[in-house]
Amino acid sequence: MSSLDWVFSSAREALYGRQVPRLKTTRESAIITIPTPRRVRLLSDGLNPVVEVGQAIEGGKLVARSPVNERFQRRIHASLTGTVTAVREDHIIIEGDLPERPPLTHGVPEWIAPEAIRDTSREAGLIGMGGGMFPTYVKLSHPAPIEVVLVNGCESEPYLTCDHRVLVEQRDQANCGAELAMRAVGARQGMIVDREINYPGGYERLLIHDTLGKVVPKRGLPRDVGVLVMNVQSALALHEAVCLGRPLIDRVITVDGDAVGRPGNYRVPIGTELGHLQKVCEIDAAKAAMILTGGPMMGTAADEATPVTGGTGAVIALTAEELGDYRPQPCIRCGQCMEVCPYNLPVAHLVESPHKVVLDCIECGACQFTCPARRPLIEELRRAKAVVTAWD
Amino acid sequence: MTKLIGPIIHSGKTNRMMMVLVLVSLAPSLVAAVMRFGFAAALLVICALAGAWLTELVIDRRQAFDGSAVVTGVIFALLLPVTAPWWLALIGGMLATGLGKHAFGGLGCNLFNPAALSRVILMGLIPGAWFISTAVTIDGITTASPLARESGLLAPTITGLLSGSIPGTIGQVAPLAVLAGGLMLVSLRTIDWRIPLTFLATVAFLALVLPPGIRIEGHAPWLLGNPLLHLVGGGTLLAAFYMLSDPVTAPFTPGGRIIFAVVAALAMMLVRFYTPYPDGAALAVLLANASVPLIDRLTLELGPPPSLEPPDNL
Ligand code: SF4
Ligand code: SF4
Repeated sequence: MSSLDWVFSSAREALYGRQVPRLKTTRESAIITIPTPRRVRLLSDGLNPVVEVGQAIEGGKLVARSPVNERFQRRIHASLTGTVTAVREDHIIIEGDLPERPPLTHGVPEWIAPEAIRDTSREAGLIGMGGGMFPTYVKLSHPAPIEVVLVNGCESEPYLTCDHRVLVEQRDQANCGAELAMRAVGARQGMIVDREINYPGGYERLLIHDTLGKVVPKRGLPRDVGVLVMNVQSALALHEAVCLGRPLIDRVITVDGDAVGRPGNYRVPIGTELGHLQKVCEIDAAKAAMILTGGPMMGTAADEATPVTGGTGAVIALTAEELGDYRPQPCIRCGQCMEVCPYNLPVAHLVESPHKVVLDCIECGACQFTCPARRPLIEELRRAKAVVTAWD
Repeated sequence: MTKLIGPIIHSGKTNRMMMVLVLVSLAPSLVAAVMRFGFAAALLVICALAGAWLTELVIDRRQAFDGSAVVTGVIFALLLPVTAPWWLALIGGMLATGLGKHAFGGLGCNLFNPAALSRVILMGLIPGAWFISTAVTIDGITTASPLARESGLLAPTITGLLSGSIPGTIGQVAPLAVLAGGLMLVSLRTIDWRIPLTFLATVAFLALVLPPGIRIEGHAPWLLGNPLLHLVGGGTLLAAFYMLSDPVTAPFTPGGRIIFAVVAALAMMLVRFYTPYPDGAALAVLLANASVPLIDRLTLELGPPPSLEPPDNL
C-alpha cells in the first residue's frame, strides 16, 4: 500500500478503532454464472478415479472417490457435461458444457430421514465451503449432541461477498440446507448469522462466542459446546444435494482486487482454472502483482492453472500497491498486535519467549496485517507453537 | 518480495510513519518555543537533532532513516532550558541515541527513554550547564529548569497557558501546545491513552493528598499542591505524552501500562515533594522504565492468562 493509504488507515483507526478493513466493494454485485470454461481441472489427489480418458460424462456424475477404507470419504463429480480428456495422479480434466441448473425450490421433504441426509452429503461430496473443506457428512455424523446449527454468513475476509450474495439471492435454499443439517444432527435451534463483522470475526470460534456466548475449548471443536457451524454455501449445497439430487459441482466466488476489470460474484463450476477467470473477469495480468485463491488474509498465491475448488471463496488479483511490503524492521513493542488479536495474545512477547497460550492462536494474521514493524508474525508464531508443542 | 506466510495485504503502517506522526504532533510545541524564545530555541533543537541523527547515522546506517533518532533529538531539546549552551544540546542528542538507544541494541531494544536518560546523565555530570544562566533570565521569568527558583509564580492563568509564559524548559513553556500534540497522538491511537490518562490523574491525585514535606528553599510552587500547577508545570505533560508513552520503553500489556504510569507519577511526585531536585519528570520516567521488565513479567507470565473472550472491536 502506498503511504497515502496509510494516512487513510490512520484516519480509519482514529474513527473506528484498529481493524482489518472490509473492502466489500462487490456487495451489490449480483451472482453471474460465468460463460462455460473450455475445461475444468478437478483435483483428485488421494482419490481413485472411476472414469477413463475419452469417456463421455454427464455433469454431476461421479469421477473419483476415496478408497473404501479411508477414514474421511471424499467424492468428486463432473462439473461439466462432456468428455474426460486426462486422468492424472492428482487431477482429472473434463472438457464440455455447463450442465443445466435445476429450477429453484425449497422446503425440506417430510420423509427424509437423518441417515438419508448424511448418506447423501457423503455421496454428493459435500465439504466445508468456507475454506476448511472438511467433509460435511463427518460433521453431521458425529454422535456428540448438537443443540444449535449456526450457518456462518459472516465472511469476514476483506473483499469477500459471495456468501452475502447467496444469502441475498437464495436465502430460502440456504435455510432449507440449515433445516436439513438440524434434522441430521437432531438440533433444536438453527440460525443464519450474517452480521457485518470485521476480520477475523467470522472465524467459527469467535462467531460462536459472539452469537451464543459459548467458549470453544482450546483444542476442542464447536461440537464440544453443542454447536455445528456450517458455511452458507455448504448449507446451500446440502439443500441442492438432498432436495434436488445435485452433487457439489459449482460454487459462487468473489473476484475482486484492483487488477480486476470486472469484479463481481460469479457462479463457477468446480475445477474452473484461473486462466479462464482471467479472461472472463478481465484480470489485467500486467497490473496484477499477485493472484490469490481465497481472501487476502488467508489466501494462497495461485497461477493460471490453479483450479477453483469447493473451498475457494474468492479469486483476488492485487496490484503491486495493494500488496503489503513485509520487509521487517525492529519491533517497537507498540502492542498493536495484541490489540487486534481476537484472543488478546501478547504476540510480540510470545514470539520471543513462547508460552503455551500461543496455542490459542488461530493464525488469522490480523497481527501481521497491523504490525507497523511489518514483522512476519505468522511464521514466528508457528515457530513458537512448535517450541511449545515440543514441551509436552 | 520475500516469500510470505500469512496475510498478503498490510495496513500500510510503518515504524517511520509512527515517528512522522510523533514529529507532526511535536510541531505546535516547537512553534510555540520558537515564538517565545526565537533563535535560541531553534538553535538548541537543531543541535540536539543533529547530534542524535548523526550519531545514529554513524552507528547504524540502516536505522537512520526511520525517524526515531529525529524524535529522540527533538524531545531531548524540549527538555533543555533555553539558556543552555548549544554544545549541551549536541552532546545530549549524541548521548541519547548513542548510549540511550544503540548501546542497548538499537531501536526497540532500549530499556530507558533515550532523551530522559541523556538528560538525567548530563544533569548529573554537568549540572552547571543547565543552571548556568539562572541569573540572566529572559523576561524575568524563564529560569533554568522548572519553576525551581520562581516562588513568585503561582497558579498559572489561562492566558499564561496560551501565551507560553509558564517558565521551564523550551518544551514546557506552552503546555497547551504539548497537550494538543498529545491529544492528536491519542486520537490517532499512535500512543495508548491509558498511559497519559493514568499518569496525569495520578499526579493530580497525589498533588492533593501528599502531605507537603520539609520546605526547601526555592522549592515553593510545587509544595502548594495545586494540582493544575503539577499538571502543566515542569515536564509532566512531556513525560505523559512523549516519554512515558514511547511504546518501546513502556510495558506491553494495557494493564501493565496502567501500573507503569502510576509508578511514574508516584516517583515524580515524591521527587517533587520530598527532594531538592526541582522537577523529577525525567528521573521518574527512568525509574518507571526500569520497572518495565518486572511489570511485563507480572502481567504476562504470572498474571491471568490472556482472555479467551474476543475483544469488542470486531
Ligand atoms: S510485533 Fe509489531 S505490532 Fe507487535 S508490538 Fe512489535 S511492532 Fe508492534
Ligand atoms: S496471534 Fe494468532 S490469533 Fe492473534 S492476531 Fe495473530 S494470528 Fe490472529
